[in-house]
Amino acid sequence: MASMTKRLDKSGQIKDTILGIGKWILIVFFAAYTLLPLIWLTISSFKTNFEVLAKSPFALPEVWQFKNYHNALTVAGLGRMMLNSVFVGVTSTVINVLVASLAAYTISRFKFKGKEKLFLLFTVGILVPLNALMVPYFLIISKMGLYNTYAGMIILYTAIGIPMSTVIIRGLMDSIPMEIEEAAYIDGCGSFGRFIHVILPLARTGIVTAATFQFLTCWNEFVFANLIVSSDKLRTIQVGIRYFTNQFSTDYVSMYAAIVISIVPSILGYVIFQEQIISGMTSGAVKG
Amino acid sequence: MKPTKSDRKVLIAFLAPAVALVVLFFVIPVIYVAVVSLLKWNGLTSAEFKGIDNFVALFKDKAFLRSILNNVIWAATAAAIQVPLAMLMAIILSRKPKGWKFFRTVYFFPQVISGIALATMWRHIYNAESGLLNGLLRLVGLGHLATDWLGGMDTALPSVLIYWVFYVGYYMVIMMADITTIDESYYEAATLDGATPFQQAIHITIPLIKGTSLLTCVTLASVMGLRQFEQVYLLTNGQPANTTSTIVLYLYKQMQTGNYGRSSAAAIVLIIVGALFIVTIRKLFEDHKKDPKRVIEKEAK
Repeated sequence: MASMTKRLDKSGQIKDTILGIGKWILIVFFAAYTLLPLIWLTISSFKTNFEVLAKSPFALPEVWQFKNYHNALTVAGLGRMMLNSVFVGVTSTVINVLVASLAAYTISRFKFKGKEKLFLLFTVGILVPLNALMVPYFLIISKMGLYNTYAGMIILYTAIGIPMSTVIIRGLMDSIPMEIEEAAYIDGCGSFGRFIHVILPLARTGIVTAATFQFLTCWNEFVFANLIVSSDKLRTIQVGIRYFTNQFSTDYVSMYAAIVISIVPSILGYVIFQEQIISGMTSGAVKG
Repeated sequence: MKPTKSDRKVLIAFLAPAVALVVLFFVIPVIYVAVVSLLKWNGLTSAEFKGIDNFVALFKDKAFLRSILNNVIWAATAAAIQVPLAMLMAIILSRKPKGWKFFRTVYFFPQVISGIALATMWRHIYNAESGLLNGLLRLVGLGHLATDWLGGMDTALPSVLIYWVFYVGYYMVIMMADITTIDESYYEAATLDGATPFQQAIHITIPLIKGTSLLTCVTLASVMGLRQFEQVYLLTNGQPANTTSTIVLYLYKQMQTGNYGRSSAAAIVLIIVGALFIVTIRKLFEDHKKDPKRVIEKEAK
């Protein structure tokens, strides 16, 4: 009897070990799948074109070519493009979050006719395939006289993020107890005062989440930036990368450097704002 | 709180900007696309009403039919391979193995890197001469398999599709957030009964996330599969011979050639197919939704 339990334990242990090994194979595989191409790209960005074309892709560069980065920044004007992306991203994030917070506040705090229908409009907005609206977006922006302007990009980015931001921020505002606001109301604080002094500070985690999500969307956006801007002075980083593929069609290494430069802020920002980004992207998803 | 009279004006002022933007950039464009889909119009000369001609032309166009097929393949691959893989990793990582936070961070990277950067990187991984993939094949002695992945009629579509399938971070994180809300006592009881981690996953975790985060992920994966544009635009631009085209790429090309009517008709097809997908998936999962034991707090934290 005793020996039997022992044997059973043993086979159980073997099973556990196999499962354990299988688990780690999976964990490492997915990490390697994500990281190795990025590492390869980064190392390649320091090679010469000859090394990339004629030598093994696994070899290290003989001399680390920092001038590729210099090329990407100066010849291609990557610096300007990054500034454009930051400017458009920050501006539209600030406006977006302000507009969405105001809307979320009224929807969350007040009873009025058609309120939930209005909110439904916002949630449905999240599901609309925006890429299908390229023609009208192009025409609306052109009709407004905003083709090829910062303002055109800013208003479009602000608008397409409104449904998502409103849904995220409302979710948080709903969780703020009414009593807190009522106290301020009795103290004679008007709607705007309550919004600024009571609700905004309490809702800041939701606002930061929405803002992070919005900024990331703007930073990575390509389709519309490509659609409504033609001048190279206004080009954002993503459109820039697209142009490098033509411009640097033979100069691979400068293009690699350009891609690395565009990825680094995304990764850094993500590592810093990880919790906000994850909760923004998942809460939006669960709602959608 | 009931708005007072003075509040009322403030409320309208508060709501107006958001509503105006949503109307201008969501409601009007959708109506607009619906109207233009019935016209023959190049954006410059006066439009001509053509009824459903654009739709008839669409469904006679082999390139469009191929695009729809590709989108469906894309959605199916994402829902049937990517999401289950993500679920597997969510189950594994939610048991908090060593370094799980690091791995969660890494798996999520592709989600924060732009589609453009990723697609450009993969174009070079697939490159026939200097690409990483062919280099890897040669390294392990499978050099005879090396090929022009994005240029070949048979390899182009799988190549464009597959690289994204192993990026599981997004769906994994959604499901992990859900799994952590499952009551620990279920697992404790199961462990006492001698259930292995594998059995616990099959009998506790999966049934409990089926109607919630798993449904969400399948919906998202399919919807995103339908919307594919950037990846194909950059990797192959629909080539060779339209074998990798998608609906959005098709409507983009129609727009570029000034065929606004047909482009809008394709947009309407996309919107309708997308809505059908969402409704169908909800229906498929509905049976599992009525679990009285569990109500998940879905609010954003």
